[in-house]
Amino acid sequence: MAKQYDVLFRLLLLGDSGVGKTCLLCRFTDNEFHPSHISTIGVDFKMKTLEIDGIKVRIQIWDTAGQERYQTITKQYYRRAQGIFLVYDITSERSFQHIMKWASDVDEYAPEKVQKILVGNKSDEEQKRQVATEQGNKLAKAYGMDFFETSAFTNQNITESFTRLAELVLQANKKDLDLLGGSINDEFSLADLEEQEGLCNAGDNTRKSCWC
Amino acid sequence: MDQSVAIQETLTTEENCVIAVECVSLLDGVKNSRLLGLVHHNHEHAIFIYGHRRMPITGDDVTLDDILPISYDFSVVEVSSPDELAVLGADTRVRVTYLAEELELRLPFGSQARLFLSEVNRAWSDACEQYPEVKPQFDWLAKYRKVSKGARSLKKSLPSLTSRSSVMSRSKRSEKSRADDKQEQKGRDGPQESQDRSRGDVRDELIRPTQPMLSNKDQMLGMPQFGLRDNLIKCELLKNEDVYTYIQNYSFFLGTYNVNGQNAQESLSPWLGSTSNPPDFYLVGFQELDLSKEAFLFNDTPKEPEWMLAVYKGLHPDAKYALVKLVRLVGIMLLMYVKAEHAAHISEVEAECVGTGVMGRMGNKGAVALRFRFHNSDICVVNSHLAAHTEEFERRNQDFKDICRRMQFEQQDPALPPLTIMKHNVVLWLGDLNYRISDLDAEHVKDLIAKKDFESLYNHDQLKRQMDEETVFVGFTEGEIDFQPTYKYDTGSDQWDTSEKCRVPAWCDRILWRGKNVKQHHYKSHMSLKSSDHKPVSCLLEIGIKMVNEESYKRKFEEIVRYIDRLENDCIPSVSVSQSEFHFKDVKFMENQVQTVTVCNEGLVPCQFEFIQKLDEPAYCKPWLTAIPAKGFLAQGASVDIDLEVFVNHSTAPGLNSGQQQLEDILILHLERGKDYFISITGSYLPSCFGSSLSTLCLLRAPIQDMNLDTIRDLTVKSKSQASDSEPQDIPKEIRMMVDHLFRYAKKQEDLFQQPGLRTEFQEIRDCLDTGSLDTLPGSNHSVAEALLLFLEALPEPVVPFSFYQRCIESCSDSSQCRQIVSALPQCHKNVFNNLTAFIQELLKHSAHNRLDINILASVFAGLLLRSPTKQDLVEKRKAREFFQHFLVLSPSDGGLHNELCG
Ligand SMILES: Nc1nc2c(ncn2[C@@H]2O[C@H](COP(=O)(O)OP(=O)(O)OP(=O)(O)O)[C@@H](O)[C@H]2O)c(=O)[nH]1
Ligand SMILES: [Mg+2]
Repeated sequence: MAKQYDVLFRLLLLGDSGVGKTCLLCRFTDNEFHPSHISTIGVDFKMKTLEIDGIKVRIQIWDTAGQERYQTITKQYYRRAQGIFLVYDITSERSFQHIMKWASDVDEYAPEKVQKILVGNKSDEEQKRQVATEQGNKLAKAYGMDFFETSAFTNQNITESFTRLAELVLQANKKDLDLLGGSINDEFSLADLEEQEGLCNAGDNTRKSCWC
Repeated sequence: MDQSVAIQETLTTEENCVIAVECVSLLDGVKNSRLLGLVHHNHEHAIFIYGHRRMPITGDDVTLDDILPISYDFSVVEVSSPDELAVLGADTRVRVTYLAEELELRLPFGSQARLFLSEVNRAWSDACEQYPEVKPQFDWLAKYRKVSKGARSLKKSLPSLTSRSSVMSRSKRSEKSRADDKQEQKGRDGPQESQDRSRGDVRDELIRPTQPMLSNKDQMLGMPQFGLRDNLIKCELLKNEDVYTYIQNYSFFLGTYNVNGQNAQESLSPWLGSTSNPPDFYLVGFQELDLSKEAFLFNDTPKEPEWMLAVYKGLHPDAKYALVKLVRLVGIMLLMYVKAEHAAHISEVEAECVGTGVMGRMGNKGAVALRFRFHNSDICVVNSHLAAHTEEFERRNQDFKDICRRMQFEQQDPALPPLTIMKHNVVLWLGDLNYRISDLDAEHVKDLIAKKDFESLYNHDQLKRQMDEETVFVGFTEGEIDFQPTYKYDTGSDQWDTSEKCRVPAWCDRILWRGKNVKQHHYKSHMSLKSSDHKPVSCLLEIGIKMVNEESYKRKFEEIVRYIDRLENDCIPSVSVSQSEFHFKDVKFMENQVQTVTVCNEGLVPCQFEFIQKLDEPAYCKPWLTAIPAKGFLAQGASVDIDLEVFVNHSTAPGLNSGQQQLEDILILHLERGKDYFISITGSYLPSCFGSSLSTLCLLRAPIQDMNLDTIRDLTVKSKSQASDSEPQDIPKEIRMMVDHLFRYAKKQEDLFQQPGLRTEFQEIRDCLDTGSLDTLPGSNHSVAEALLLFLEALPEPVVPFSFYQRCIESCSDSSQCRQIVSALPQCHKNVFNNLTAFIQELLKHSAHNRLDINILASVFAGLLLRSPTKQDLVEKRKAREFFQHFLVLSPSDGGLHNELCG
């Protein structure tokens, strides 16, 4: 039987506290929604397997703390990401304005090739909307990003946005993948894993087998 | 097959084999098939390693080879070779170590191996958890020393239970790795024991220092880590096969013909092409294809292509057939043809031979077999020629068993164990099985045949009888025999054997099957073929093949992937942290404050935690903070209290006093292969004269804690620019207070500056100086003396500023130059310097009482007054002392100092 997946890569959720990053992840991986806000204090991750263009893609999705005081620390996680979600809350003008800051941090700290998409969450809360869809669209266009309005509550556009970002990452790395001969991308995930090890114990370059 | 039963039979009643698994052990590149049992006794576990016969069923089938006790020294880690990516998870190779013993094992994929490993893991983490409260004993293992047959390795490992000096015999290892071992063991004992002793803290028992676990560090056992992902999916798919498969019937034509070494002259179509519709499959077996010596010795014969062509020509004319495989062992040949349109759905075709002839190996008797996968069904076809002669039926039974045992097909994944015949969904067995008619003479037999009373005759058939007794072909079915015996005829006729031997006719040539969804359409002999002394037999079966419904397969597959994702997510190490914010209120110089954070492993796997560095920072926390322990191991459900300790000393005080730094930090608690947790630490620091600069203190007329922080910050800036509006004091009032106090009360104090003060008294003195709460300093002379030294040590800029240091050292031997340098110091520094030297000179006058001399005092003070901006070596230390000593010998110009002190 063929291998069950070929590629492994990492996506990162960024945005102000309370915009719904943790909820987006929960909805995507477990199909669950929790109405209470338990602020993430740290960095969490979950795995998910997708099939894109016949390639089995395993993605590791990192959920970061949005609170301002942790931002200097969460930045150190950016460089491990191949794809980034910039998330705001359509009921919060402020969270939308902060996207600029998040985007510039990403420019500074994330790898050059990183793929980004803009996500306006809580689209179910139409009556409390402060950011028009058009505004989101415009900003995304200015940054050259794809844009989704999502709702972790109603499950709107959740799979679509995650799959889209995964697709973009796959495309961006297509050349590397093709170079390695189509179906087998061991090197790709390998390089990725090494990098992962590298962060946690900086300077330690010995390759360890990955658990995932 | 549950092999723990076999193991259990070898154990005592107190011992219980929890689970068993077959594996392959690798030792010096040699593979051995082994049986592993996890054995439990009281609170201890050990892995028993057995050699075994192929199918261990009872205790007699296994022999104990080795025992690995599972103590905290034990480890099992996944092995991944560089060319095999662990993430791809093809197989499960693990390295088991106990002390110096090391063994590599390959476990077959599947839930059994998974379960076994997780049980071992559980046993191991239990052992770790109990250590060191419960010291491992393992004396129940001692008795096995005698029993074990291959005691070679066992002997070595058992004594090592009590003494650590075991020499390993199982596997060769380099000197280097042995040295590493030693180091590792040192690491194990050293820090842990000393920590236990010094802290004497009960709560340490749950956490173990990371070192002993180094080998396990990134490879903690947990199901997903075993790279079994693919195999897990395979298992799950297999388990749920019914969901996504349905049955479709295909016709299989099976034929067997002992051709007695004759040529293929006759057409075979009366035999092979006799069905009304063309069958989907042809499986055609021959025996005695070639009786020549050459064929026997070289296994090479011109008869092979000859008969192959005959078969091809004889196939049903209404369909196109493709040859899938031909396999031959001397005269035993098996051919497989399939309708061309089905060829694409056939995969994993393997062929194997087993000889059971002379010496139990030669190919004049034996079997050839083919296995293949058609859609989702695994099918095995065997063509055998078993031992001859009427009385030899037991020999035939034995041949059958040998064939079943020895016939093994390699799997595509080399890590998987070879497939045996019985592992297939459908087994088709044909051939000259050579079973005869018992207890009837030839005449009687022929008579029954003439009457077509096959039923009576069949009751004398050896194969029927043996199958009834379940001594052979257990689980197989044979259709009703409605044709006369196929052996033995005079060649070229339908005449029974007329030779001297005058053999009793027998149904030598037979076709049987085993498996579900098989229906027989015909079973007959073909009398029209006359070239051999046997008649060919054929059997048409309709076999239900498992077909994959692509859509439900995909659905099931995705469901399994989701399930495994979830499993994997559940196995990500995770803990709960009792509190994520800590505030330390009113932190004071040299006074530690401790708060405790409790970390509890609430996940499903053991985990390794560690505070990790932030980007661009040298350590995991600021220098005024420590976390104890900063790393460790947590078994499932275990928790650990981590002390967060804030302590501001001379090196961190200046920044905090001046307001350039705050008590603010965020710790990252990292779990190996898991999440990160942030713990934020804040605190308010009460500024102190300790750690403030001389120039700032000169400008402060009120106690430092009466000032607000901004004023202090402003003054720090001002003092730097030397622009002050109010007249500064000559020397800081805090120094004056301490020196005056000592001058007044401690001149004659024995061992002044030699004996330490009390920590609590120091804190009172500090508070007194910082708040001005008392007019006279509290505490003993020794405490005040120590406070003075601490004050000097904490000065951000020493009394002799760093910029003067080099010159002082260079001119240390020249008294007048030294004095010149001092006279050039900034005013307040010079004042303090002179004040202190005058005080020291005064002390020297009372050396009879205080037992101090120049040497002692110079070495105490030189290092504080004259601090190196970098690290001071011994030579510089000596020079600094020399520099300072010039000022301690009385000279005429020092006359006025006494006044200064008293004034
Ligand atoms: N109505 C609605 N509420 C949502 C949605 N997504 C999240 N929420 C709510 O928003 C609050 C915050 O969600 P979280 O996912 O915890 O926010 P976060 O971005 O992870 O916040 P931090 O962890 O502090 O960075 C919760 O109360 C959620 O129930 C959504 O799509 N619709
Ligand atoms: Mg969150």
